Amino acid sequence: MADKPSPSLTDDPLLAAYLERRANLVRFLAARAGSLAVAEDLAQELYLRLAARDRAEAVTNPVALLYRMAFNLMLDRARGETRAAARETAWRQTARTEVGGVEIADEPPADEAAASAQRLRQLIAAVAELPPQAGRAFRLHKLEGLSHAETARTMGLSVKAVEKHVSAALKTLTARLAPRFDA
Amino acid sequence: MSDAWTRGDDARRAQAADWLVRLQAADATEAEACDFDAWLSVHPANAAAYDAALAVTLELQAASDGIVEGLAETPRRRPASRGWLIAGGIAAAAALALAVMPYGALAPPLTQTYATGKGEHRTVKLADGSTLELNAGSSLSVTLGRHERHVIMPQGEAVFDVAADKARPFLIDAGDRTVRVVGTRFDLRRRGDALSVTVERGVVEVRPGGDLAGRVWRLHPGERLDTTQGVAAVALTTADPQQVESWRAGRLIFRDQPLGDVVADLNQQFAKPITLEDPALAQVRVSGVLVLDDQAAVIRRLALLAPIKALPSGQGVLLRSDPAAKP
Repeated sequence: MADKPSPSLTDDPLLAAYLERRANLVRFLAARAGSLAVAEDLAQELYLRLAARDRAEAVTNPVALLYRMAFNLMLDRARGETRAAARETAWRQTARTEVGGVEIADEPPADEAAASAQRLRQLIAAVAELPPQAGRAFRLHKLEGLSHAETARTMGLSVKAVEKHVSAALKTLTARLAPRFDA
Repeated sequence: MSDAWTRGDDARRAQAADWLVRLQAADATEAEACDFDAWLSVHPANAAAYDAALAVTLELQAASDGIVEGLAETPRRRPASRGWLIAGGIAAAAALALAVMPYGALAPPLTQTYATGKGEHRTVKLADGSTLELNAGSSLSVTLGRHERHVIMPQGEAVFDVAADKARPFLIDAGDRTVRVVGTRFDLRRRGDALSVTVERGVVEVRPGGDLAGRVWRLHPGERLDTTQGVAAVALTTADPQQVESWRAGRLIFRDQPLGDVVADLNQQFAKPITLEDPALAQVRVSGVLVLDDQAAVIRRLALLAPIKALPSGQGVLLRSDPAAKP
């Protein structure tokens, strides 16, 4: 991407902090946005906002400011105010000759997906074998797209309890489905 | 591998899952995000554990349709002593299916056509449990076959709430694009040469049909695809499905849209045609919410959103540029 360290890197503590923890910001944004491609895109946009901001402002806590800006980006995205509108404008202006916007790179195209039927069976089995409450919470929230609060209402539980169930389910699923990680 | 190491692994996995779930909570705070950043920095294995949890979550979410269907087909395991009961149930169901199938097999699939006029909305409940809500000025025909469910949509806009049925994919022909879904909810809009698909739930696949080249796109909730007949390229953006489907509640929500598009939408809702005096007006950007009640009132509100004034003209309404009225 275009966010190579610029000459101003050394004299801007905020840009330096960004470049140092860009990977962490992408991890945060991916959790919120539910997509790595979108997270990468948002991290890029965060960089643009950083580059455009008034540097005379003193920054006492660069990390906190970075995450505040990341939260704001997510809010703007939810309102559809920045990216969607900007993209649509750009799209109309480029006379529709190029593929615009993000490629959804999180998964293979449909034909390859068909070949991974075996993996799908693994995923189904892993979810089917979760303990009942954790399985139900995970299914409602992650697979059927209900919010934590909606899942809590559906299951008659507190939001905190739902978070605990989803977290327990996720831990079990990660242990079972993810390739092993090593320190 | 030592017990201590395994325990460490397990604890990290639990922490990683906790963080991921916390960050996804609606009430996650900036302070928590900073703590998360600090936790990642404590040890590289923390970041690795988080990345594993994130990858698994994204994979499961991408496959959510298939998993939900798979779960519906996989009966929960029961104690062995009840096995015969289940087997009996399956046998009975099979007998019933055999008795019923010849009728289904012999009857040719029926094609039904549904259409709406100006200002008319219509909700259609299909025999497979799917629901279609048609916006004004729409027409489509539906054929529920044994191996596929097929919709042809020459023009208009509808929200499709498709009942999951893995054995019968739901296909929509919209000109030179085919939209394929299994069980999902989304808005499909076809006005003139422009086609757009906005997904609210599930996964929707858009593929080029006929001679058109191009790849297959898979859209997830909150994603929108825009394209044009005869053009291979597409634009992918994020969109709020509630906003796109606002017409269902008798409202139109615009965010930075050209006045030309807004007027085209309004012309589907009201009998009196609205025209723009100067074609350049079509490019003026408009943002706002219009409640669709009475046309005169709607136009008055529109004049508050854009530098225009409305004049009666023949059978319709003419919008004229009015810099003095700049909002």
